Amino acid sequence: MAEVIVNAQAPLQYDSGQRNLLDFLEKQQHSLNFQCREGFCGACRCTLISGQVRYLQEPLAYVRRGEFLPCCSVPASNIEIEIPK
Amino acid sequence: MAYTTFNRNMNDQMKEPMFFGNSVNVSRYDQQKYPIFEKLIEKQLSFFWRPEEIDVSKDRIDFQQLPEHEKHIFLSNLKYQTLLDSVQGRSPNIALLPIVSIPELETWIETWAFSETIHSRSYTHIVRNISSEPHKVFDDIMLNQKILERAEDVSRYYDELIDGINLYQRHGAGTHVLNGETVSITLRELKKRLYLCLMSVNVLEAIRFYVSFACSFAFAERELMEGNAKIIRLIARDEALHLTGTQHMLNIMASGDDDPEMAEIAKECEEEAYAIFMRAAEQEKDWAAYLFKDGSMIGLNKDILCQYVEFITNSRMQAVGLKARFSTTQNPIPWINTWLVSDNVQVAPQESEISSYLVGQIDNEVDSGSFGDFDL
Ligand code: FES
Ligand SMILES: [Fe+2]
Ligand SMILES: [Fe+2]
Repeated sequence: MAEVIVNAQAPLQYDSGQRNLLDFLEKQQHSLNFQCREGFCGACRCTLISGQVRYLQEPLAYVRRGEFLPCCSVPASNIEIEIPK
Repeated sequence: MAYTTFNRNMNDQMKEPMFFGNSVNVSRYDQQKYPIFEKLIEKQLSFFWRPEEIDVSKDRIDFQQLPEHEKHIFLSNLKYQTLLDSVQGRSPNIALLPIVSIPELETWIETWAFSETIHSRSYTHIVRNISSEPHKVFDDIMLNQKILERAEDVSRYYDELIDGINLYQRHGAGTHVLNGETVSITLRELKKRLYLCLMSVNVLEAIRFYVSFACSFAFAERELMEGNAKIIRLIARDEALHLTGTQHMLNIMASGDDDPEMAEIAKECEEEAYAIFMRAAEQEKDWAAYLFKDGSMIGLNKDILCQYVEFITNSRMQAVGLKARFSTTQNPIPWINTWLVSDNVQVAPQESEISSYLVGQIDNEVDSGSFGDFDL
């Protein structure tokens, strides 16, 4: 089970019952920006500090190196991320 | 380099830059320099919708019962959106097709502009339904000072680019005397105009629409003008995709992989890019003040809307590699996101709201109370 560290807080256990990281983070009371929830608008962009994510569908939105889209991905290892302010 | 509709140069399309290389000859997609544009085309086609599929008949009753100041909000936004889509339905084609050099991008531009024509047609669908004098609504667009001020900024960068392209393609780089007037153009100047034009389009699609979207959804939160909100959701979904297309172009340019000169230009234009964003944000706040001049609406007022403009401007700036300039970090109207989620947008024919499937049935459940003095 992957661990998810958000904004340098205590690690959370990723719950595989969640469809994607965005659903998971929202369930953990993190508020993220979102719009399409399908990987094409880019509103949910977050920083991936360490670890890897796996995309459930290929994102169409522009993603820079070091960023990822939580709405269409799941952890592929323990990950550390930052939600932009 | 005059434009030709079928370039006879046997060029390698995989080596062309996005813009200002050879004009495209064969429209082929078996090889793609930037496969993302082909994916955007597919996505846009999967979004296809027709305004006539959305039943807006209940909106007529809602509209008649709106207080005057809310009618003003509703109609003004509709007029503003009509202006924006009038520009967007033609300008990407006119400005970008003469200079594009790779087929998948050329086809994305055409697909993008086509979807804007659906938006334009949907405004007529809405206006015809709520007003027995639709011409008055449309005629006012060309008379309304507040709208015209916006038209100026929305079209300026397109027009400068188009003007430069015409000059360059007809007379080439250099200084020319035309009808006694001295004009000059360089390829670098054209590239700069292109970059700024795309930045301004990004602002148009990323910020300018959203004040209006917010108002439409605020009505719908009160279960008013829901047919309109359904259309706006489809438009918002398309716009999010257009925005992604433009962000890709801008980011590819800034990276310099495609055309090293473009990366220099992106740097050189940074201050002007900030200025385009900030000016648009100010204009949209000013628009919010105009919308609410005679009163606010439930759930939304000028201050909240201005904060939303700042919030969304920040996030759009970051998406194209600029820094956020406003201190707002929270979305003041988080409920809007639910309206913007695309998987809730339903246009499948089995959905009962679709008018083309309701022939001979009674549309929507119009509760009898809203008919007032109607004897049933
Ligand atoms: S919410 Fe649109 S890309 Fe994630
Ligand atoms: Fe549009
Ligand atoms: Fe658009």
